[in-house]
This record gives sequence, structure tokens and C-alpha cells, in this order.
Amino acid sequence: MKLEIGKFFVKEMVFGEKTGYSKGVLTINKEEALAVVKEDSHITEAELHIACPGDEIRMVPVKEAIEMRCKVSGGVMFPGVTNPVMPAGQGRTHALKDCSLIVVGKHWGSFQDGLIDMAGPFQRNTIFGSLKNLVLVGDTDEEFERHEQQKKNRALRWAGHRLAEYVGKCVAALEPEEIETWELEPVNRRDASVQGLPSVVYVLQPQTQMEAMGYNTLVYGWDGNHMLPTYMHPNELLDGALISGSFMPVSSKMSTYEHCNNPVVKRLMKEHGKTLNFLGLVMSNLNVAMDQKQRSAYMVAQMAKNLGADGAIVAEEGYGNPDVDYIQTIVELEKVGIKTVGISNECTGRDGGSQPLVALDPAANALVSTGNVSQYFELPPMKTVLGELESMARDGLSGGWEGCVHPDGSLVMENNGMFCSDHISGFSVKTCMDY
Amino acid sequence: MCNLTNIAKTVGVNKMVPTVSVPYPLGNPQLRPDDEWALRYHRTGVALDALETDVDGQTIFPVKI
Amino acid sequence: MLKAIHYINQFFGQVGGEDMADYEPEIRTGTVGCTQIFNTLAKDVEVTHTIICGDNFMASRTDEALERILAMLEGKTFDIFIAGPAFNAGRYGAACGQICKAVKEKYGVPVITSMNEENPGVEMFHKDMYIFRGGNRATFMKQDMERLAAFADKIARGGKLLPAPMEGYFPRGIRHEVFLEDIGQKPVMAADRVVDMMIAKLKGEPYQTELPMPALDRVPVAPAVKDLRKVRLALVTSGGIVPRENPDRIQSCSATKWGKYDISALEKGFTAPEYKTIHAGYDPEQADKNPNVVVPLDAIRAYQREGRLGVVDEFFYTTVGTGTTQGEAARMGREIAAVLHERNVEAVVLTAT
Repeated sequence: MKLEIGKFFVKEMVFGEKTGYSKGVLTINKEEALAVVKEDSHITEAELHIACPGDEIRMVPVKEAIEMRCKVSGGVMFPGVTNPVMPAGQGRTHALKDCSLIVVGKHWGSFQDGLIDMAGPFQRNTIFGSLKNLVLVGDTDEEFERHEQQKKNRALRWAGHRLAEYVGKCVAALEPEEIETWELEPVNRRDASVQGLPSVVYVLQPQTQMEAMGYNTLVYGWDGNHMLPTYMHPNELLDGALISGSFMPVSSKMSTYEHCNNPVVKRLMKEHGKTLNFLGLVMSNLNVAMDQKQRSAYMVAQMAKNLGADGAIVAEEGYGNPDVDYIQTIVELEKVGIKTVGISNECTGRDGGSQPLVALDPAANALVSTGNVSQYFELPPMKTVLGELESMARDGLSGGWEGCVHPDGSLVMENNGMFCSDHISGFSVKTCMDY
Repeated sequence: MCNLTNIAKTVGVNKMVPTVSVPYPLGNPQLRPDDEWALRYHRTGVALDALETDVDGQTIFPVKI
Repeated sequence: MLKAIHYINQFFGQVGGEDMADYEPEIRTGTVGCTQIFNTLAKDVEVTHTIICGDNFMASRTDEALERILAMLEGKTFDIFIAGPAFNAGRYGAACGQICKAVKEKYGVPVITSMNEENPGVEMFHKDMYIFRGGNRATFMKQDMERLAAFADKIARGGKLLPAPMEGYFPRGIRHEVFLEDIGQKPVMAADRVVDMMIAKLKGEPYQTELPMPALDRVPVAPAVKDLRKVRLALVTSGGIVPRENPDRIQSCSATKWGKYDISALEKGFTAPEYKTIHAGYDPEQADKNPNVVVPLDAIRAYQREGRLGVVDEFFYTTVGTGTTQGEAARMGREIAAVLHERNVEAVVLTAT
């Protein structure tokens, strides 16, 4: 299955008369863009802003980050979500690069919302601090969850995904500046030279722990909680088959942007045929009951074993009780003789002294750590806030608490509330060490 | 009484009774109310029995429903 | 120039060997023997006093040794306390750990020592202080002192603490996140680190895990209750069940507070919405509908009515377990246990989510 991603490198982003792209300049017609957002009458207020690296802008509560792109051939964007369900992972997709679309609540935040700084000491804490961002700030009539700590954030998230495609479409007919080709043959139709290389699966455990629907990662629009582990082609992930959920304490979150750009998958594809035989994706999940965790772990190990995997990389989108799913999956893979490496973040507590994962096992002897949920930050005031700063203190965001925001605009928080900052997808340039 | 007995073991808990899940340790919305009550009553009873039982090391007490 | 006081044993204090291991603690102005080496190496710190104590004295009369040495420090000005290096000498390593810990607790100054990884003092005290990795024989004196002097200078200059492996001391059980570029390493993405680790593991080549598995906690088993009808039982939870208004404002995540609430009037169990959960780490729907699914008070009341139980404590004890540090949880556990002891509670059913 072959997927081509046509890339357009955005050097400048402006609002203007006509949505379009030319020589690195992305122009967005605000009225048209907002009309796309307001297609959903549940959106009561919407504004668009541009936030670029170095701008003294703070965004909170950030609900989602999405790459602006469109399908030119071979399918639709975000199938099963904002478009009808159909297969993803082939044909041509055009994507605007060096930029992203950020969805921010005008007032109300939730446990899974976070903060992004575009300048200052915390700019580097998220990859979005280095991207040019089209920022949608909106409010909705979703009264039922206005004061709930857990929010589905449906109207705004869907609006963001629609808007990302609307903007992405402006490069549909253009010739890409660069084309990435992602191709992986069917597992049993590979050359002997490829079959002879050590084979690897990538096991993704996206956040799917809410039992009520509307909060979890969606796979082709289907709630990830209501799934058992399955096999997927990596192109499907790179082409929008997964959209991120609205439940995760946000530094552990993998945004939709990151699913479409998963750097572990891309690196494995690059190694395919050279050092490794990349067998594909095992799409697992994260569950709330012990027997469900065990079931997924056993099924992942069975699937990997019977695909003939020599090695597995397991990625956990979460911390806390999901560590049990993570460690158990690693243990089960090792038990069937598959050499396993894991990638996750840690939660060592503010004093750094807590056990980094809540579950432990000597079999988990090869782990990459992308960050510490509990790291304590003191943020200086920022000139402009898109959204509402007080939401961090008032609305139960995972890294904030009552009184954490000061009248002068400075705040204290835990890394837990920094948007996708642990980049478990693989973008993290942090680690955790003993001190 | 907890669902994630693996975690309880790592912090040294010696007597454990497994529960249904994280969000409802002693409940189960999929059961009829009387069956849910029976489950809670039974597992709580196992916990009480466990308090009166001597153990050598970390022990998970089995439940019937 | 910062001031330091340096503790050494009877041998390095040039008092005598094993025959003088019961040497009583004394403090001398200036340096003695090896503590002079420290002063030649350190640039911004000066040892002003040396304490000498016999290894046996410290080992067998620890409380007295500590009391006397702490008394000797009264009225002295010092910014850093140093002990050893103890190499592989077990009693000496343990002694260094004991005195450093006591000085740190009383005076709050940085305490540093050095010993070999085989020294039992490492296992006993690595969480309480900076123990620098040292040689296994006294022939390593100069190298070990160099490390201590360099770190003391760093403290004096207010230098930034680097991760333990880079500074050269044993991990203290404290982990923090760090940007690779901040510790002079190439900012390699986690994606590349994990695929490189995979390739190495598959090839059987060495690799370094970024998250070593720590040793597991063990707790001695409490004796079983002989007869529940004769004791007081209490209910405790980390599931965040609280009275509706959360009167003590227990945090929904990373809690540092716990509450105790009177349930004596609740004859049939918890009722909603008078009680609810504030725990942010799980879907609250079922717990809010019926808090008894998290704390089974209704079942406990049923057992009470049947005569299965004796007294059930008038209070239940609650906090929230998501994001809460182990340190805070342990502190809250100790505080709750203290209250339970006062109230003569002998049995607890603790429910966790």
C-alpha cells in the first residue's frame, strides 16, 4: 500500500482576501474559514488568530492540534469522523508543513486541555512552539459539560478537524515542493532480503479509558474503548485513521497532528528493508479493568508472535493506571520471545521521589522516557493570552489547581498541563534522569 | 480492595481483594441492581474474611462473583 | 570562601587502627591527615574543623555518638558537611551515612560523602545524601577527594545540578525530566532513541535503558484480626469520595490533603448526591450515582446488622490517588494511621480506584 504526502512548507501565514498558498505564503480568508467552523450551530463564538514562534502569545485551554491537509486521491480526510468512513493510507495527501491548527476554548477548559507558550522559557516545551499556528478560539452551547471536569469538547474538536481540511484544500491542485512516499508491501509478499531482516511491530496504546462514549481516541471514527487489539498498516495512522481523544491529562496526549506525523512509524519505515523488516502496526488500547488490560496484552502478544515479530516497540499514551497495560504488554511480548522496547513518560511526583511507573517488572529493561508529568514549572506572564488563563486554575486542567494563576499573569503548574509536552509520539527531546 | 493488584504489590500490600474495575470497584453498571449488590456484598465479605486470615506474604484473595 | 566541617574515622584521623575503633568522637580545629587533601583541592570551600570518631563507637553507640557530635557543631559556622571517603570500609561507610543524615536533618546544609558501590552504606543512605562513587581502596584517596572537592566548589558557586550519573554520585531515588540540550547532549528525538534501542536489542548490542526498574517495596505482614466482632474497623479510600461540597477542598489530582467525615448517621450506606467523587483520574459516572461502589458502606452496614462486625468507626477517611506523589501518599497514610491508632481502630478496609 503506497501513500504519497505532498508537502508545502509554509513560511508565512496571513489573513487575506482569498484562502490560498503561494511561494510559502499561506493566506486564509477569515470569513470563509469561520463559516466552516460555524457549520455546527453548537459553536456560539469563534475567532481566528495567527500565533508564530517568538510571538508573546500563550494559549490555554488548548484542546487539539491538527495538521492542515487534504486528500487529493485515494480517500478522504479523517474517515468516519468529519467525512464518511472509507479506507485510509493510500493515494495522495497534500499537507501544509511547518505549521498547524490549534483549537482553544474561549473560556472553558477541561482535564485534558493544556497550555502552549509561543515565546519565553517554555516555548520549547511543545513542538507547537516552533510551528506557525492558525488558532481557532471558540465557545459552544454544550451546557451539559460547561462545568464538568471531563469534557468531550466535541463541537470544537470537530470544527478544528473540518477547518484543517478546509485550509488544506487550498493546496489540493498545486504541485508539492517535496513528496514523501510511504510504502510497505503486504507482510507475506516481501523479498527474501527483507524477510531476512529482524522484524518489528509498533504497538500503539492510545488513550481509551472513558467508558462513556465521546471522549476516547477514535479509530476510523470508532471508539477505541470498544475495540480489541487489531493489525493496521502504518499508512493508515499517517493518513488520518486515528483522531486524538479528549480525556488524557494533556502532557501525555498524542494530538491528531502527531498521529498523522508519528515519527517512530516514519523512522521504522525508513529502516524497513535496511536494518529491519517493519511488519506494521498493532493497534491496541488502554483499559480500566484488570481483565481488560490482560486481554489486550495477551492478544497483542499473540498477534505479534504469529506475525513472526522478532521485536516490538510499545508506546503508552498515558500514565498512572495505564502503566499496568504498558508493563503487562511488554511482559507478555517478552514471554513469547519478542524483544521489546517501550516509550512512555513518567510520573515521579513533584519531589521526584515516587516510583516512576506504577507497575514495574524486570522484563521491562529497555525503556525510553520522554518526560515527567510531575515536573513543576513557574511561568512568567505573557503579553497575549488566547483563551482564558484562569481556566488553568478554575476548570480542573490536569496540571493546574485553584490559585495557581496569579493576578499579574504568571502562573505555576505541573508539566501535566503542558499541551502534549511529553510527545510520547516520539517528538520529545527530553528524558528523565536520576538526580 | 483494588483492581490493579500489580500496582498494590509494588507498594507492598499484603492482603488484596480484586475489584471489578477502576471507575466502579464494587459496582457493575452492566448487572441488574440486585446482582450488583450481591457482588458488592460478597467481595466486601471476602475482605472481612481476609482481615481474619493469616498470610505469609502478598496474597490475593479470590472472589466468586 | 565557604566553610566546611569534615568527619573521618580513627584510622584516617591518625589516631590508630582497629585497636582504636572505639575512639570517642572529638572535634579539632583545622585539618587532620586526609582532610588537608581536601583543602588543597577545593578552591571555594575550606575545611575549618575535623571530627574524628571510632567506627565501632559510631556503630555500637550511634545515638550517643550523633548527640555528642551534633553538640560539637553547635555555634560553629559551616556551609557544607563532608564525611569520608570510606572506600569499601563497611562500618566507616555506615558511619559517614549516619552522621551526614543527622547533620542534614538538624542543620539543613548540603552533606556529601564518598564510598565504593559495594559499601553497605550506599544501600542504606543513597536516598538521603550525595554519596559519590568512590574507589574500593584507600589508594583512591586523591581521586575520591577530587570529586568531593569539585562538587563542594560547585555548591559554593551555585552551579546547576546535573543528573547523578554526570555529577558522579549514586542515584538518590529522585528523578526529574531534563532537556537533552541542557545537559550538553544532542537533542535526539525519542523516536530515534527508541528505534536505535530496538535495533541494538535485536542485535544483542549494549544499550542503556532510560528508566531503570526500581526495587520493590515490602511491608511486614500484620497479624490477622482474631475476631472482627471484638475490634473497631474503619473505611479508608483513595477513590476521592467526599461530602458533596468537598469541605476540605481536597484536590482532584496530585492531592496533598485528606479528609475524615462522620458517617455514623448513614445507616444504610452513602447516598447521592450528598456524597460524590472528586477523583479526576476515572470516569465519575458510577461513583456519583452510587458512592457505595467505591466505598462499600452499604455492605459494611449490612454486615454490622448481621453481627459479623464489632464497631465501625464513626469516620471514614478519604483522599484522591491520581497524580498524588508517593511521598505525599505515604505522609497522608502515616497521618491517617496515627488518627486510627488514637481511635483504637485495629482493622481497615481500603478501597482504591
